[in-house]
Amino acid sequence: MLAVILSRLARMVVVMVGISVITFLIFFATPGADPAARIAGRNAAPETVTAVRHDFGLDRPIWVQYGVMMRKMFVTGDLTSFVNRGQKIVPTLTAAAPVTLSLVAGAAVLWMALGAATGIIAAAFKDRLPDKILMGVSMMAVAMPVFWVGEMVNLVTQSRLHDTWAFSWVPPLGYVPLSESPARWFLALIFPWITLSFLYIGLYGRMLRTGIIETYQEDYIRTARAKGLTARRVLLKHATRAAIIPVVIMFGMDFGVLVGGAAVLTEVVFGLNGVGRLTYQALKVLDLPMIMAAVLYASFFVVLANAVVDLLCILIDPRLRRK
Amino acid sequence: MITKLTPARPGRWAATVATIALLAGLAPGFAAAQDAHRGGTLRLVSVSSQGTLDPHVNYTSQFWQLYAFLYDGLVGFKKVGGPESKEVVADLAAALPEVSNDGKTYTFTLRKGVKFSNGKEMTTDDVVASFQRIFKVLGPTAGTFYNGIVGADQCLAAPADCTLAGGIVADKAAGTVTINLVAPDPEFLFKLSAPHASILPAETTAKDNGNAPIPGTGAYMVKSYDPNNSMVIVRNPAFSEWSKDAQPEGHVDEIDYTFGGTEEAAVNAILNGQADWMFDQPPADRLAELSTAAPDQIHLAPLSAWWYAPMNVNLAPFNDVRVRQALNYAIDRDALVSLFGGPALAQPVCQVLPPEFPGHVDQCQYTLDPGDSWSAPDMDKAMQLVEESGTKGEKVTIVTEDNAASRGIGTYLQSVLSDLGYEAAVQTISGDIQFTYIQNTNNKVQLSISQWYADYPAASNFLNVLFGCDSFHPGSDASINIAGFCDKGIDDRMKAAIALGATDPAAADAEWAKIDGAVMEAAPALPLFTPKQVDLLSTRVGNYAFSNQYHWLIANAWVQ
Repeated sequence: MLAVILSRLARMVVVMVGISVITFLIFFATPGADPAARIAGRNAAPETVTAVRHDFGLDRPIWVQYGVMMRKMFVTGDLTSFVNRGQKIVPTLTAAAPVTLSLVAGAAVLWMALGAATGIIAAAFKDRLPDKILMGVSMMAVAMPVFWVGEMVNLVTQSRLHDTWAFSWVPPLGYVPLSESPARWFLALIFPWITLSFLYIGLYGRMLRTGIIETYQEDYIRTARAKGLTARRVLLKHATRAAIIPVVIMFGMDFGVLVGGAAVLTEVVFGLNGVGRLTYQALKVLDLPMIMAAVLYASFFVVLANAVVDLLCILIDPRLRRK
Repeated sequence: MITKLTPARPGRWAATVATIALLAGLAPGFAAAQDAHRGGTLRLVSVSSQGTLDPHVNYTSQFWQLYAFLYDGLVGFKKVGGPESKEVVADLAAALPEVSNDGKTYTFTLRKGVKFSNGKEMTTDDVVASFQRIFKVLGPTAGTFYNGIVGADQCLAAPADCTLAGGIVADKAAGTVTINLVAPDPEFLFKLSAPHASILPAETTAKDNGNAPIPGTGAYMVKSYDPNNSMVIVRNPAFSEWSKDAQPEGHVDEIDYTFGGTEEAAVNAILNGQADWMFDQPPADRLAELSTAAPDQIHLAPLSAWWYAPMNVNLAPFNDVRVRQALNYAIDRDALVSLFGGPALAQPVCQVLPPEFPGHVDQCQYTLDPGDSWSAPDMDKAMQLVEESGTKGEKVTIVTEDNAASRGIGTYLQSVLSDLGYEAAVQTISGDIQFTYIQNTNNKVQLSISQWYADYPAASNFLNVLFGCDSFHPGSDASINIAGFCDKGIDDRMKAAIALGATDPAAADAEWAKIDGAVMEAAPALPLFTPKQVDLLSTRVGNYAFSNQYHWLIANAWVQ
């Protein structure tokens, strides 16, 4: 077990170093990326630009700059932004992380529960009315872009019907820390959760339905039926358990990517200042230190989520344990 | 200056603003009524914050608007709405300085009893340290605004050891500070009024202080600042009003500024009464709805700014003056205004100095009937000039920012260039990179779209900065003379006009008007339009006043 964890960790480090080097090189290969003049300000005198370049170490060889940045990020923790001068990167990122985690974790609970329900019900009623309705709605959910859904939700809850009995309880956009008020935290996140999970409910529901229907062709299902097990037991205990493996693997990927910042559209639309929005803002202004930190943070979560999923799969599927 | 740094002036809104100013100045009875407005919390929203809180470093209009009531300089712009807002008044100095030695020496007597928000009294030590600090923190304007102070050369060369010996002389016992300049500078008081010359406590670190608030002398102070979330501003407990013009005691008790979300969401929040004001401009597609649903909540004001398209005079085909003039004749300035959102948001312009700016005289050379104002494009003339230049068929690339307005203008210019016989293409770059990219001559940009907002009300801040030889630095990302225009004759006239301003401002302004015409004749740029500021306020906010320098004067407003 220890060997497995160690090899996982080693792989994680290799992936993160590779990603950071590539990000770093892309940045310096971009035309007009030199931040010195932007840091110095509009109409700065040439002397000021030179002094700023020196002050930020931008006149040193590129590998030295890389080393210094890594040291500041991981050892001393005092890496500062190139754009928001004086803004410390690591504390900013750790302050934004709970927002994204709250959003993604809540949405994940929703989409796993509802996605599984959709898939199982649709498979149970294959080719009948409930199946057709659920699959139609799922198709719509997958087809609608999340930023559009978010804006529509806002249009209804914050603008057009905001003053009616139905939506007057909806709090203003923005995040309320869980530690400040759990109730307000929950209220503020209800619509972001629904919006973010909508697409995944559709996607996972469709995947699970197909998986279950395929599994129904397997010999062991026929055996189970021959043993005289009830239809429900066959569906839940045998078919679903096998069919859910690919869904769990995908969940690991999606969860990691979303926590790492891919929920940016939902975050921006609902005014949640999480990691995604931070990354997006950093990219817009080419803020290298923030981009580097955000990219490493994201890759860490993707690798971590995958490791967790591998363990989960072993728990779900006994066949994987034997190897 | 920075895109978002947008001092402006009321044009046709002068009447409205003047009325408010008049009311504010009216009778003691009204003053008593004002006390009733004391208290409450203003809630401001913005899509993003603007970096460091250090007033010696930050160069954005978003935070300069806040510095108006957080920090003071020796002098400052009058905190009133209307044309008077471009007047300089004594702030931390008891009176405007005595100027001697042919305009090279300024002597200030400090006000007594002014305290920083940490309770410490402000003295001459703080003034001297603050001026040194401008150079030590590598302030953006250190080499452009304050380089005329004696000793500034050494400070720019070796910022860490900056003393400004001989430049800033303090007499602590008498409470006076003397500033010596290398040469007379008629704009020096404007430069001292900028937040970059704020007086901070002497013990402030000589590095960019980042997100930690520095104590100031203003009516308010920053209680907390998280650039990714919010800023909370409260009353400065050590403040007592010394001059209503320079630093009025504000009405509200607290100002909460939140960052995040979208412009769309901000408009909704203001209409729902969840927020009081948004920093960003409301989306253009909501303006029609707003003008009918909430006409009383919208305030418009023309800005001291212009959108323009610099043409690189050192690269073909724009190295031929006829091509530059041809393009100026060919563009339909009304079409450009509609691209920016229509006449409510911009007005057509064909000269450098914005309307009502010092030195501005209505003139338009590039129109169907040359005269005071623009009427219609003159395509025949343009075609003829292009024909004469023999440059037809050459390739032109227009570099635009990635926002809708800039891209739209780029596409429009592309169509005009095609009509004139050129092979035109549009290249779009992220707005934050485009500005430095188009300045660097190594990138060989022929035509680009940019904006300039005045730092202070002086014609040189447009003409000399954008088209002076001193602002052209080939191969550097910081070369604000984007067109690379350097005409010895015009440059000498500009230097003479600056000098003349020290003795005879009226004559200098008349000369600036002529220089404006001369620059436009050489046509290093296409003036596109003068933008206007849109302020959307909630119904509970009263006493709106718009200053040329600081925009909406937040501290002058009250909430119900």
